[in-house]
Amino acid sequence: MLTRRNLLAAAVGAAAGSASWTMVRAGTGQRVLVLGGDLAEIVFAIGAGEIVIATDTTALWPPEVEKLPKVGYLRRLSAEGLLSLMPDLVLAGADAGPQGALDQVRAAGIRVETGPEGTGFDTVSKKIVFVGSVLKRDAEAEALAARVAMEMASVEVALSSLAETPSVLFLISLANGAPMASGTGTAADEMIRLAHARNVVDGFEGYRPLSPEAAVGLAPQIIVLPDHAVGAGDVRSALDGTGLAATPAAGQGRVVVMDGLKLLGFGPRTPAAVGELARALHPAAAARLDL
Amino acid sequence: MLEAHDIHLRRNRRDVLSGVSLSLRPGELVSLIGPNGAGKSSLFAVLAGELPPDGGKVTLDGQPVRKIGASRLATLRAALEQSPSLSSPFTVAGLVALGMASVSRAAIDCAGVAAAAMSAAGVAELASRPVDLLSGGERARAHLARTLAQLYAGRAIGGGRYLLLDEPTASLDLSHQIGLMSAARSEADRGPGVLVVIHDLNLAAAFSDRIAIIRDGGPVALGTPGTVLTPGLLSEVYGSAISVERSPAGTLRITPDLERMGSGGRAGPVCLHPGKSQAPVPSSDGNRRLHNS
Amino acid sequence: MQRVAVPGMPSTFSRDGLAVLCFAVLALALASAGVMLGPVPLGFGEVLGALSGHAETRSQVIVLEIRAPRVVLGAAIGAGLALSGTALQGVLRNPLADPGLIGVTAGGALGAVAAIVVGSHVAELLPEAARSWLLPLAAFFGAGAATGFVFAVSRRDGTTHTATLILAGVAVNSIAGAVIGLLIYVSDDRQLRDLTFWTMGGLGGADWRMVALAVPCIGVATVGLMRLTRALDLLQLGERAAWYSGLEVGHVKTAVGLWSALAVGAGTAVAGPIGFIGLVAPHIARLCVGPGHRMVVPAAALTGSALLLGADLTVRLIVPPAEPPVGLATSLIGGPFFLWLLLTRMRRDA
Repeated sequence: MLTRRNLLAAAVGAAAGSASWTMVRAGTGQRVLVLGGDLAEIVFAIGAGEIVIATDTTALWPPEVEKLPKVGYLRRLSAEGLLSLMPDLVLAGADAGPQGALDQVRAAGIRVETGPEGTGFDTVSKKIVFVGSVLKRDAEAEALAARVAMEMASVEVALSSLAETPSVLFLISLANGAPMASGTGTAADEMIRLAHARNVVDGFEGYRPLSPEAAVGLAPQIIVLPDHAVGAGDVRSALDGTGLAATPAAGQGRVVVMDGLKLLGFGPRTPAAVGELARALHPAAAARLDL
Repeated sequence: MLEAHDIHLRRNRRDVLSGVSLSLRPGELVSLIGPNGAGKSSLFAVLAGELPPDGGKVTLDGQPVRKIGASRLATLRAALEQSPSLSSPFTVAGLVALGMASVSRAAIDCAGVAAAAMSAAGVAELASRPVDLLSGGERARAHLARTLAQLYAGRAIGGGRYLLLDEPTASLDLSHQIGLMSAARSEADRGPGVLVVIHDLNLAAAFSDRIAIIRDGGPVALGTPGTVLTPGLLSEVYGSAISVERSPAGTLRITPDLERMGSGGRAGPVCLHPGKSQAPVPSSDGNRRLHNS
Repeated sequence: MQRVAVPGMPSTFSRDGLAVLCFAVLALALASAGVMLGPVPLGFGEVLGALSGHAETRSQVIVLEIRAPRVVLGAAIGAGLALSGTALQGVLRNPLADPGLIGVTAGGALGAVAAIVVGSHVAELLPEAARSWLLPLAAFFGAGAATGFVFAVSRRDGTTHTATLILAGVAVNSIAGAVIGLLIYVSDDRQLRDLTFWTMGGLGGADWRMVALAVPCIGVATVGLMRLTRALDLLQLGERAAWYSGLEVGHVKTAVGLWSALAVGAGTAVAGPIGFIGLVAPHIARLCVGPGHRMVVPAAALTGSALLLGADLTVRLIVPPAEPPVGLATSLIGGPFFLWLLLTRMRRDA
């Protein structure tokens, strides 16, 4: 790939004459297109926000990204749409696609860097290091990674005093009255574990539809929802439409709604998100938790 | 000669035809008559080569029809199905052109054939009208023109020997019924053998060389109108009293004998409820599909 | 003697031929626009330079690697969908019959989804060259199986019962939908990613490899369907009268089923299910050139191409740099246009 890029750069050099943007050497990070909410958050967190020219629709944080143009949904990108923004670097999350579109952008002489795959807290530092090295801001990235690791460590210390592990049902969406629950191996499952709780769904991997009856059978003490699953209405009426009202969690009003990107993004805000989730899941101990 | 010999046909576990034979010679017009459900349309489909009989054989000039193949068969005989339809808004001329589909355009004078067919069917002045906007009678004649075009196109390349018409008079008024039968008659006079499935016994009597009568899938009689159309036979076949008069000029006049049929001589109920055992009502089964009858 | 207007004969060629020519010009104009226009503004000279190989890499890639395959694929898929719609409507004598309604598209979609989900496990067993054919082949077999099934169950006494066929198509649609749902349910995250993109439908992933896969299939189907124009005319008389008139009806139905499945399957494999074109393009063509299939078939193919090219151009330009699914645009452009045409025709005939 490197060879090919060099060849392209050579070709561009040979075809010179116009003061085209393609002449800008890859890697200096003048105009950066960031694909993926987690990466965008990291780019801004290391102070490189001013070189970001556009993001995709999954980028919701920090508030500055709202003003940036959006290239559409992360998994449904258009090659020429990306090119029209004249980036000289595309930072793509592992989920970005289709692969063909990214390949075409690469063929047009644009540097495309794909981030590390996977969920879990380990990937946060990998992503930060990745962004730092691609943007040549290694020092800022290392500082951020260290800060996030510190924050996480202190959250973990604070949480280690918790005795209970309440049972939690995480629903990624309530669409059409068919709640999609998180099984194992998901970002939600990892967050529940980090917040000293137990995912009641351990029978399947990934996100699957869950029947209300099964949900009642699992008897979760707490239901957690991302904010986008609730929408404009209130939580109670959203849950009423799904038949989940009969669960202990809904009966006792123990329903937690959190910023979806913060909760599941595995970015710099993850330690804070774990703390926030833990306080919501352990209300009795919340006052003691020094976060 | 188009010849059906000892035809047996079963549909839906029922004998539709049993032991029927019928031959159609070049130059003659044969009418096939019989009460509703007698098997006329099934016999028509067998003769046209569409339905393979379960017993017996059909030959066209000595060749088994089922061996000929649709395309060549279409050049040897033209057939007009009962209640023809057309689902696209072709013009009459466009419809007529469909009749010539089995013959290469280069081999014949298409415009001449189309014009001849349309004038023979009396639709020449409707040529550029869309078929779907015509009256029922005009539409029926347009389909006749299409079938005649098939016959003429076949004849132009050495075929066109038989013309088969399944209840072609069903949706026509009286004068057009006569017009159609004269057209069929003049086709026969020009060489092809013509078979007409028909309900109107007077028309059959006036235009046919021979008449075949079938009932319940079996043969009843086959012969000249004078020998076949007798009061006794017709009354038995149709299950109601029918009288036959011969005019001084020799024409037969067949009428249901209403006075002998029911109390008070009221004909109304007979016509309103046409059925197997009642008086012949022209076109009463015009809408029946082949496979149901 | 009065002039006889016979469809397909020289007397009417001029007017209908002109209409076909108009469609051709429209399709060509939209194809050119598809190469000229896009979210990246390129000048006329730049595009010409790229086409002749004398432009900078970026323009070259945009024109030759992004826009050109997209336009070629769009034209071919639009034509393929329109042709199979024309042929199916013709054979079934039903104006609603289209590949989407009678289950051909759903069958193709099921084949493609199965190839994505199950195929990733068998792909390793296949030689490299065969792997790229897995998806289109699966889509073709899915489409072919659906077509064969609906024709088979609706056959009665040798003729096809159209109402039964359409009902069978509705059943196939829902069965295929359910099986697709099941496959999505068992798919892992990576397969799901491919599926998400694919089920939305569109030409966004177009590249020359896809062109090489789909265009030959659609081309063969086009040639096959183009040869059936007279047969489709005859079938307007009904299967029985068509047979009396010399048409081997059974062969024609098999051919229409086969070519439709090939065209729709290939298109579905590379661009996902794209609705509406198969239904509406034949009607637009008929409203403009009359019922004779000799003109309707090429006119419908060109209309289908023009519709998909126009729709694709629209989604590329409307909210750059993002791109909505193309199905939205085919319906939003084709729908009102079709209604307008229908209403003006009805007013004129009244």
